[in-house]
Amino acid sequence: MSLKQKTGDTIFGTILLLPSILIVGGFIFLPVLQSVFYSFYNFKLTRRKDPLIWNNFENYKNLIDTGKLQNAFGITFKFMIVVVVVVLILGIIMALLMNQGKSQNRVKRSLALLPWGTPTVIVALLWSWMFQSEYGVVNFILLNLHIIKEPISFLVNPDTAIWSVAVAATWRQLPFMFIMILAGLQNIPKEMYEAATIDGASSIQNFLHITLPFLRNVIRSSVLVAIITNFKQFPLFWTMTGGGPMGTTETLAILTYKNAFVNLNFGVGAAVATAWLVVLIIFSLAYNKIFKEVEY
Amino acid sequence: MKIKKYIIIITTLIMGIFLLFPLYWLLITSFKHNMDIYRFPPQFIPVNFTVDSFKSVFSDNSVLNYLFNNVIVSAGTTIVTLLASALAGYSLSRYKTKFGTIVQTSLLSTQMFPIVGLILALYVIFKNMGLINTKLSLVLSLCAITIPFSTILIKGFFDDIPKSLEEAARIDGASRLRTFVSVIIPLSKPGMLAIGLYTFMQAWDDFLFAITFILKDGNRTLSAGIAMKFLGEVSYDWAMVTAVSVTGVLPMFVLIFIFQKYMVAGLTAGAVKG
Repeated sequence: MSLKQKTGDTIFGTILLLPSILIVGGFIFLPVLQSVFYSFYNFKLTRRKDPLIWNNFENYKNLIDTGKLQNAFGITFKFMIVVVVVVLILGIIMALLMNQGKSQNRVKRSLALLPWGTPTVIVALLWSWMFQSEYGVVNFILLNLHIIKEPISFLVNPDTAIWSVAVAATWRQLPFMFIMILAGLQNIPKEMYEAATIDGASSIQNFLHITLPFLRNVIRSSVLVAIITNFKQFPLFWTMTGGGPMGTTETLAILTYKNAFVNLNFGVGAAVATAWLVVLIIFSLAYNKIFKEVEY
Repeated sequence: MKIKKYIIIITTLIMGIFLLFPLYWLLITSFKHNMDIYRFPPQFIPVNFTVDSFKSVFSDNSVLNYLFNNVIVSAGTTIVTLLASALAGYSLSRYKTKFGTIVQTSLLSTQMFPIVGLILALYVIFKNMGLINTKLSLVLSLCAITIPFSTILIKGFFDDIPKSLEEAARIDGASRLRTFVSVIIPLSKPGMLAIGLYTFMQAWDDFLFAITFILKDGNRTLSAGIAMKFLGEVSYDWAMVTAVSVTGVLPMFVLIFIFQKYMVAGLTAGAVKG
């Protein structure tokens, strides 16, 4: 390859990247840097003309002293871990069921995907309606099955609110997980199972030693997608509980948004966002490391 | 063996009910009379059908307008994202440079960023650009979050296309751009379709950007419009809320039924390879 051609390649390759760099740089990286910057200043939306004042970590101190930041981290992690684990387990079960026999049925698969196509705000409304305390159908079903004795105000009761949101989140995310895992299952060569069965392997052994290892890549990427989705979850909480009752569903997303756009205190909102970002970076490094180690 | 069969059937049934009953419930609530909605025990099969709720939802043009705005924003986002990520994906697949590697890592890292966290800074940026209350602000911010994922996926599709095709075109004297447009693009249509649909769905789902950047009802998109117009402070009018929800859900369901094969194939191709 001539030198001229090589330079041409480099220039062409770089030009192709420009639109993405401009958009992602301008509307993700720039605001991220700005958020980090604001988090150290006294910055209120109501007084945008005022000069920014360095406030000596006041935003962070305030959040930590009131316990709100720790509380939000706790709630976010609790919600994220439970939803991801439940979605993963149900997704695997569902995919195994659908993989049995000749269920390459387009209609069945489309039906199973419908919750995934439902806009998140509508998911929130739908489940708010089902969880309604007086007329809600969930209460009716649970009462009739004698699981509960009297109606529960699912979204108002501090003990149940977060789990009600978790049910709505599971409902929407399950189809995606299921479809990914099903695709993974269909990629496993059938001969593997035949050979193992001839050697006397039980179906549990087959699952543990053939199915799971083959699903490793799919599980890694779809679990990562699920973790990110639930870590960032905003519309479900905002519409179903708004952070209540008594702050039991005040996740990082809700805490950030409330401080920035309800209390109009950008500085504090930015401080939550910055703390969150730092934890996410550490978390993603750890996640990749864990999965790398599993590989060998 | 019989017990195993029963377990399979029952589990399948429970899963099916869990996934589909809520949608059924949404649908029949929207066709019930207001009186029947607030009846306990509830009616599982509606006795009196009525389309009153739909009539009142469509009594003015606002919902149609939300839908229209949502289509414009989602389509705009999809077009820009496809263009930008096809170019970037091609560059990362074929013109590997050190700079490209850095870009790729940076793009991947954005997937982790808390969008809610950067929205306040975005708000200030759009305010300074005079873009608050415009659909363009939604398109730009949505593109910023969809481009990274699309680029990585599309790069995977390009990686699968043999290089010899391009080399032949180049020897025949086609320019780099021409080779890309007339050799590579036609070969990656299924991948582009899958990524386009995924982007469209993500944009369609947007709530956060719309409630933050759009303050005028006329420019609102679907999710934000529903939340602002139909959700009261204390109690909700469930007949209206379910009717407007059914309206909002239908376009996506149609897309899923028509295109699910492509969406699934496209999204899983990347993940299965790992």
